[in-house]
Amino acid sequence: MTDDLLYDIRNATRSFRRGDATVNALGAVDLTIEHGEIVALVGPSGSGKTTLLQLLGALDRPTSGQVFFEGRDLNTLGDNDLADLRLRAFGFVFQTFNLIPTLNALQNVEAKLAPTGLPESDLRARSLALLDEVGLSDRADHLPSQLSGGEQQRVAIARALSTEPRVVLADEPTGNLDSRTGTEVVDLLTSLSEERGHTVILVTHDPEIAAKAHRSIRMQDGRLLEPTLA
Amino acid sequence: MFYLRYLRSELVGRRTRTILTLVGLALGVALVITISGLARGLDRAQKTALNPLSTIGTDLTVTLSPQQDTGGFGRGGGGQVVQANQSAVTDLSKLGKPGTQFVHDFFLPGTQLTFPQKQTAKIASLPGVAAVSNGLVLSAVHQEGVVPKIVAKIKTGGQQLDIRRQIKPPTAAEAAAIQACFQKLGVGGGAQPGGQPGGQPGFGGGGRTGGGFDSPAARKCLPARMREFRARITTPEQTLKQVVSPPQTNIKSSSYTIGGIDPAQQSIGLVTPSQLSRGRFFSKAGGREALVSSAYAKRKSLKLGSKLDLNGTTFKIVGLVRPPLGGQTADVYIPLAQLQKLASQSGLANVVLVRATSSSDVATVQKEIEQALGSGAQVASAKQVTASINGSLVDAANLSHDLGLVLAIIAAVAAFLVAALLTLSSIGKRVREIGTLKAMGWSQRLVVRQVLGECLATGVAGGLVGVALGVLVAAAIGAFGPSLSASSTTGAAGANDVLGLGQALARTASTSVSLTAPLSLSLIFFGFALALVGGLIAGGAGALRAARLRPADALRQME
Repeated sequence: MTDDLLYDIRNATRSFRRGDATVNALGAVDLTIEHGEIVALVGPSGSGKTTLLQLLGALDRPTSGQVFFEGRDLNTLGDNDLADLRLRAFGFVFQTFNLIPTLNALQNVEAKLAPTGLPESDLRARSLALLDEVGLSDRADHLPSQLSGGEQQRVAIARALSTEPRVVLADEPTGNLDSRTGTEVVDLLTSLSEERGHTVILVTHDPEIAAKAHRSIRMQDGRLLEPTLA
Repeated sequence: MFYLRYLRSELVGRRTRTILTLVGLALGVALVITISGLARGLDRAQKTALNPLSTIGTDLTVTLSPQQDTGGFGRGGGGQVVQANQSAVTDLSKLGKPGTQFVHDFFLPGTQLTFPQKQTAKIASLPGVAAVSNGLVLSAVHQEGVVPKIVAKIKTGGQQLDIRRQIKPPTAAEAAAIQACFQKLGVGGGAQPGGQPGGQPGFGGGGRTGGGFDSPAARKCLPARMREFRARITTPEQTLKQVVSPPQTNIKSSSYTIGGIDPAQQSIGLVTPSQLSRGRFFSKAGGREALVSSAYAKRKSLKLGSKLDLNGTTFKIVGLVRPPLGGQTADVYIPLAQLQKLASQSGLANVVLVRATSSSDVATVQKEIEQALGSGAQVASAKQVTASINGSLVDAANLSHDLGLVLAIIAAVAAFLVAALLTLSSIGKRVREIGTLKAMGWSQRLVVRQVLGECLATGVAGGLVGVALGVLVAAAIGAFGPSLSASSTTGAAGANDVLGLGQALARTASTSVSLTAPLSLSLIFFGFALALVGGLIAGGAGALRAARLRPADALRQME
């Protein structure tokens, strides 16, 4: 295992029970991802992209196999350690933005930073700086319902980046946006992450978006097809 | 602090949900407070009005009812009812001279017969008896007015009597003498004393002017027997009938109940110092003092210090009392000896109040007294006395007893469930948000703390509104609530009614209690805590359940 190796996934599976039947969402995946990579997970619906992303983001545990992150087997970590990992090491961007509807743009960013224990003034300053970076400093006090889809996703990106995570995981970030806005959002995400040296793993259907990645990993029926270097 | 700002944003941002939860909690709390307050109010009313004996230091009352057979406790016998109540018959002639003003009070034991006071010693000597006290409770009829005067008018006279009698005619010699006298006087002109052949001599002819047979001088010409006519006349017998109108009278009657109390015993009696609402109790010496029930005093406009004149004896009102219901209630109380004297019932009582040494002995003592006194004696326990009371208060108290607890529990459960369900439903709609928070790195503890904070805030606000609402409703019940009444009838002989007097001489005492819903701090706190705990438990459980989901599952649930 080299120092650049961020993820090492070994024979990871994930299955769900649906009534009496067992659905294998992910079957025996082996995958490595290095620091600073921008990886696109592509494939049709139900191919297991989101399931794999959730294993990578410590949102879920594999049914079997192992997911090593920075050399640590995530299976061995408790819920609190995983929460801490999600807080400091990962940043998520969702297809449906998942902003807290009762909090304004600034507070949504603060919500990610608050558990780090940052003083109140720093919390606000840092959140405002991030909103400024995504071009929304003048919309800081707007509620999600008062923002467009693209603006909401930019708030989500500012939120994901707020704790300086090592990995940004984006699940179809352009899925609810028109193609121009989608491209803008992905450009913003990749450029900011590259500046900071973050690793980006994004799930997408869109070949144009996938083309912006260093590497596209094609999936089908819960398995990886040939890894492709960008 | 961010978490507080988040909490505020959640409550304000989801205004409808917050208000719904708050109103639900408030109604639950108000319901618990109001129902419990009402139950408390009824309980309190019940304790004062429906638990009559305990307030006068008594466990049992002993009275004597008329029996068809003689013997036993008292003098017995159905005739005793009539004998005991004979003074009810008003002898108008004894009230004074016709036309004079009179005031009189009649005292009747009704069908609660009297018995010698010394019988009480028999009860006092029984084992388990701690104290006894005699009482005399009489129905009094107060009459005042003018003694009626009866005048009959009979009209007589104005009758005309016709008398016919044959006068013996003058003899021939007399006729000649009369004739000669008349001629001498020149009466009758040339008239000759008439004579008819074979008939009686008579007077004939007319007179001349200036004199006649009727003149006094001419009358002297007649023999003495003809000058004056005397006869004894017997008029026919007849009966005069005159209808006499009933005498006009302004006699007014009013009735009340009077009780005689042994002033030496103040811990047990028809009333005790604990029933005083104003003034003081009898002095132990038992002078001419009276206690008056507050209701009667109000009705008759009597005050402390007012005088009561009972058949010439003046009593001073020294205290106002609120006597307990339950049969031995009176409007006016005076020392026993005074009442015995007034009512001509010396040495007699008609109720014995008994206190047992311990509450567990009451049933045994009751049986002992019944056995010792024989038939006729009625020994009533507090429970039986309470059972004889009826009215809306009793209905409400029974309702409260039967349903109050159930209603309070239902209200409490309802408040708890409302709090829990609203909170759970609210959390159910936030699973995705909770999943997002967890994806952002919020720990389980942090998520639960945040949700609990919201529940606490909603619970406190809902609880406060509910308390305010409950207090308002309770106050409204106190101000506008209905009055509940309770009444108790005694003196009616029931199955042993003799000569139908029972109904007429029955005494009914009644009291009315305003329905209130008194609140206590603990009650308010209980209602408040209930909503809070309900919300917190449900919130905690719901939040824990949602927070324990894997973030992936939580995010997936709503998508």
